[in-house]
Amino acid sequence: MGLGNLLRRVTVVAGFCLALLLAGPVQAQTDAKPIDPELIEKIRKANAECFACHTEGGLKAPPVAGMDMAKLADLLVDPAVYSHSYHGNMDCKQCHGQGYVPFPHAAGAAKQVSPCEECHAVKVFKVDQQFDKSVHAQNLKGKMSCASCHDPHVAQVAAKIGDPKAIVAQDNAMCLDCHNSDLRFAQFAPEKLSLKRKRPDIDTIHAWLPNTKLHWGAVRCIECHTPEAKTQSHEIVNKDKAQKNCVACHSTASSLKTRLYRHLATAEQQRYGFANSIILKTSYVVGATRHPVVDAAILALVGLTVAGLLGHGMVRLVLAWIRRRRSP
Amino acid sequence: MSERIYLLPLWLRLWHWSNAVLIITLAVTGFSLHFADPALPLVEFSLARRIHDLAGLSLAALYTFFVVANIVSGNWWQYVPKPPGVLARCWRQARFYGYGIFRGEAHPYPPTREANFNALQALVYWFIMYLVLPVVVVTGLVFMFPQFAPDQMFGFDGLLPVAMLHYLAGTVIVLFMCAHIYLGTTGVTVTSLFKMMVTGWHEH
Ligand code: HEC
Ligand code: HEC
Ligand code: HEC
Ligand code: HEC
Ligand code: HEC
Ligand code: HEC
Ligand code: HEC
Ligand code: HEM
Repeated sequence: MGLGNLLRRVTVVAGFCLALLLAGPVQAQTDAKPIDPELIEKIRKANAECFACHTEGGLKAPPVAGMDMAKLADLLVDPAVYSHSYHGNMDCKQCHGQGYVPFPHAAGAAKQVSPCEECHAVKVFKVDQQFDKSVHAQNLKGKMSCASCHDPHVAQVAAKIGDPKAIVAQDNAMCLDCHNSDLRFAQFAPEKLSLKRKRPDIDTIHAWLPNTKLHWGAVRCIECHTPEAKTQSHEIVNKDKAQKNCVACHSTASSLKTRLYRHLATAEQQRYGFANSIILKTSYVVGATRHPVVDAAILALVGLTVAGLLGHGMVRLVLAWIRRRRSP
Repeated sequence: MSERIYLLPLWLRLWHWSNAVLIITLAVTGFSLHFADPALPLVEFSLARRIHDLAGLSLAALYTFFVVANIVSGNWWQYVPKPPGVLARCWRQARFYGYGIFRGEAHPYPPTREANFNALQALVYWFIMYLVLPVVVVTGLVFMFPQFAPDQMFGFDGLLPVAMLHYLAGTVIVLFMCAHIYLGTTGVTVTSLFKMMVTGWHEH
């Protein structure tokens, strides 16, 4: 464990204890949603100052002349997307501090971004225990942080997104941002790896999975790459432990129910009697979304047909035998 | 043993047996896909899917061959029941299977070069080969290339009606196949009709 990592560990544990002790104030900070319309208006106005530059509009009509426009073009935040994200009701300055208010921004401002654990002590404590065991934590030696996956200006809570296809799109983009980009992958890959071996192509790695593109749009990477748990685990397991068994999803006992569709489980209505009908709205999953009554009827029909034919044959045999005995 | 006529050309017999092998393969693997469950002794899902896809494409090609060859050779005419009295002849044939056959009566309409099939046979074969099997093949192809399936239907994924049709039509084929194999034992001897499908010669 590097020094940086150790320090982070200490902050997290300290933060966690603090959270337990001062559950009141710290929790209030994370849980309280600013419902007060006046406050929301105040935050909106404050953020508009940053959006004056950090948006497409700011790029087209810069309020200040002589800015580094090429650099600014890489630092855009979409106000509409931001307002739907976890942190959409927050003032930029709550995380970025006062250093970015003046322009040019203060020299040390970048270092003052609040770490996630400042507000999410309990969540970070729990997630870290799983994350520390993940292949990323072990192979990438502290290069990866919460924000590598969760863009704090963009990401939304799965339950709030609701539509499974949109959840899949968001969560897979987190992984594919690196795993589909040579540039970003190399930034994180261990030196040995980035020199010797190139980023393995995602569709090639999963060539054993038919129609990978269809799967990427219908299930998440984490469905196969994390252990099954009550809540989504952050332990991305070693590739040898990843799920390769089709029947994990393609059967009536499909794990999709308890993973991707977990937050919709209460909405399960067994529509028209289908098994896993909650999935059926978004995807037809061979083996999982079938109808027990139709299946029973079809099995019975085939059974009766075979029995009828065998019976017919038996009677034919017996009567032929009797006829042969009677005829001289 | 007295009389023999040459009824079935080589291409038809070759088609018939390839078709039979493919359909049995598709039925077994299709069943394994639909009823996939780690607790059941089925073909393993990923293997079943690979075999089913290969056999499905082969069957689609074979079916195209069947249609073209039937047109070119004029064999399609056999599948058309010839009026008048189609229903009456069907009834007589059905009565034979339900009654006459037990008493050892002779087949009411033994095959001839001109009319290979009896009226009931012609109707059923026509229904299966030109109505149900195309449904299985087309829905199978859409299943394989789901981008051609509708996005949504009745608030469900658009693949549901495709899958349902495929499953139900596939079941009809399997039911037909059971009856078809059984009726193959109703020749002069239990095996004579099977021999005909191999040699092309029919024994009266
Ligand atoms: C007048 C235009 C302007 C305004 C207003 C503005 N910024 Fe910036 N900001 C820039 C430009 C240009 C850059 C890139 C060049 C630089 O760092 O000087 C930048 C860089 C940044 C960076 C990246 C720093 C880095 O080194 O990676 C952050 C974070 C940032 N701004 C946050 C904010 C926040 C938060 C606000 C509102 C409180 C804000 N900015 C207001 C123009 C602006
Ligand atoms: C919940 C905390 C949080 C809030 C609220 C927040 N940011 Fe950030 N922001 C971050 C973090 C953390 C980073 C560093 C991300 C990283 O390391 O990739 C960042 C990075 C940035 C950057 C640099 C972009 C980059 O890709 O490096 C800009 C610009 C920025 N934020 C602008 C804003 C603006 C404008 C707002 C308000 C509309 C805002 N942020 C609100 C946490 C926040
Ligand atoms: C300054 C405080 C602050 C910081 C720093 C902060 N957040 Fe948040 N975060 C919040 C608030 C407030 C909410 C909204 C809580 C709610 O809606 O229940 C939130 C919500 C979230 C949620 C949704 C939680 C849930 O289950 O509902 C996630 C995930 C999240 N933040 C991740 C992060 C990450 C990752 C970082 C670091 C890059 C971060 N946050 C930094 C204040 C913060
Ligand atoms: C390798 C990428 C990755 C990293 C790194 C990561 N997360 Fe996540 N996180 C995810 C994914 C994917 C989900 C699943 C979201 C869902 O439930 O759909 C998630 C879910 C969550 C949730 C549940 C919120 C929700 O959407 O229901 C929280 C809270 C959270 N992460 C916090 C953190 C914190 C804190 C860190 C840093 C210690 C972190 N994550 C690091 C990928 C990551
Ligand atoms: C910030 C970039 C980044 C993100 C985001 C990211 N990864 Fe990775 N991942 C890497 C790099 C770099 C490696 C190579 C590490 C190695 O092989 O040593 C890697 C390796 C892996 C491996 C291979 C482990 C092994 O056994 O060799 C898996 C599996 C994996 N990632 C899954 C995921 C999943 C799932 C997500 C999304 C939840 C994700 N990654 C998000 C950068 C990333
Ligand atoms: C159906 C389950 C499944 C899904 C979905 C899935 N994976 Fe995998 N993945 C696996 C399995 C199993 C392996 C191990 C393959 C092997 O050993 O042949 C693997 C291997 C990997 C590796 C290791 C590559 C290597 O050899 O170094 C990476 C990286 C990876 N997956 C990333 C992803 C990403 C990113 C996604 C989402 C777009 C994803 N996976 C979706 C099952 C899955
Ligand atoms: C993580 C869950 C999951 C796993 C594991 C999984 N699948 Fe799938 N699969 C799905 C879902 C969901 C769909 C439905 C996609 C859609 O149509 O939206 C699907 C669709 C399919 C389809 C239908 C594609 C079509 O042509 O219509 C096939 C075939 C398939 N999977 C085969 C496999 C095989 C073989 C394996 C194992 C090697 C496997 N799947 C593993 C979730 C999974
Ligand atoms: C008589 C022949 C056939 C039978 C009995 C049959 C049966 C089945 C069954 C039961 C399923 C599972 C579907 C579900 O779970 O709802 C299935 C899936 C499927 N069938 Fe067929 N099928 C037949 C022919 C074909 C043909 C001709 C094709 C293609 C041209 C095809 C392509 C598919 C595809 C693509 C799937 C989805 C799974 C996969 O990709 O393997 N099938 N079939």
